[in-house]
Amino acid sequence: MESLLQNFDLVIVLVLAILGYTAGSLAEKRHYRSIIKREKELLKMAVVTAEGSFPPGKVGSSALVSGSVVISIDYFKRLLAILRNIFGGRVKSYESLVDRARREAILRMKESARKQGANMIINMRLETATIGRSANKRKSVGSVEAIAYGTAIVMNKG
Amino acid sequence: MIFTPKQPEDNVNVSKSHPLIELLWLLGGLILLVGLIFFLLGVTADWAASKVPVKVETWIGQQALKEFPAIENHSLNLRLQSLIDSLPENSLLHQYKFHVFLVDSEEINALALPGGNIVVYSGLLKQVQSENELAMILAHELGHFAHRDHLRGLGRGLGVAVAAALLFGEESAASSLVSKTLLTFQAKYSQDQETAADQFGLDLLTKRYGHAGGATAFFNRIKKETGGKFPYLLASHPHPQNRIDALMRRIIGKSYPIHETIPLKNDIFTDK
Repeated sequence: MESLLQNFDLVIVLVLAILGYTAGSLAEKRHYRSIIKREKELLKMAVVTAEGSFPPGKVGSSALVSGSVVISIDYFKRLLAILRNIFGGRVKSYESLVDRARREAILRMKESARKQGANMIINMRLETATIGRSANKRKSVGSVEAIAYGTAIVMNKG
Repeated sequence: MIFTPKQPEDNVNVSKSHPLIELLWLLGGLILLVGLIFFLLGVTADWAASKVPVKVETWIGQQALKEFPAIENHSLNLRLQSLIDSLPENSLLHQYKFHVFLVDSEEINALALPGGNIVVYSGLLKQVQSENELAMILAHELGHFAHRDHLRGLGRGLGVAVAAALLFGEESAASSLVSKTLLTFQAKYSQDQETAADQFGLDLLTKRYGHAGGATAFFNRIKKETGGKFPYLLASHPHPQNRIDALMRRIIGKSYPIHETIPLKNDIFTDK
């Protein structure tokens, strides 16, 4: 028992890592299921990064739409990233994080465009940021933020 | 341009490997790396520690002493001097300027710091009952200096801690993890050092007083308060019973006589 108390911060690291792994994996699976479902629903709405040029009179109205999301880096992923930082190579643990954030942001942008009755989004841009001073700093588990923004256009019929 | 929406089948942006497998590989690699550094440092630091000149060590000691809230004790200095006078002329210890410091604390401990500084805790002094016992303790600390133990310990542990700090950053959990794991391995190294210091202390005590009386008395007294032998596997000192046994073996092996001990004079506590 004494050695447990002596190595208390080690125990905390272990507990947080296990928590991160279990809860984090669970949250990730659920999120992916939701993403895939919504992507199917919003498949018809086109999103392009091109500026697009339309014949005159084709575009009825346009508006700026954006979707953003913040996803937390769990402790287990952070641990893997720190170890990776020593040896170099792909930080695989962060890949799913960033992927989810971007897809979610695009989905939210599409949703916001759909609410306005738009047909497609042109000139889409995507930006990712880490919230908190530094995502890998000690004693702070950071978050990843992704924002997708573009121009939603409503086409004229005919 | 025709727009044909299609749901992609699988995700190209996420690697398929399982995170736990990756963790295993990374941790394994890290443990291997640290073990290698530790081994290399162990091989080189021992050699380096024996070569550090006394002047350099004294400078290091002055830096270390700034951290300690202790008062130099003249009576203890006198006792130490009479021990040093019993040493052979070619002893390395004559190059040191020794200072003995008394720290007011309940802890039963004495430390050898670089540069000839010995710190004695008042808790230890309260347990001591004879001049011979006190001489044994001081002579034990002199043994550490003679073997350059404090520098060896410093070299290895410090080297790895510095390497860890460079790799992970000083604030990181990883470097504290590394230093925690290494401290337990260091402990066995120290137990051998402690035994060697005991032997040196016994020899010096016998030279000073002409007999080995009082060498084991202190350990006999604290033995009653310590528990079983298990926690001592990883501690920095050997179990008191083991120390007593080793000392008795040497006393018998070298045929040291044992006479009456001199009771402790109380000028230490009245010293200002």
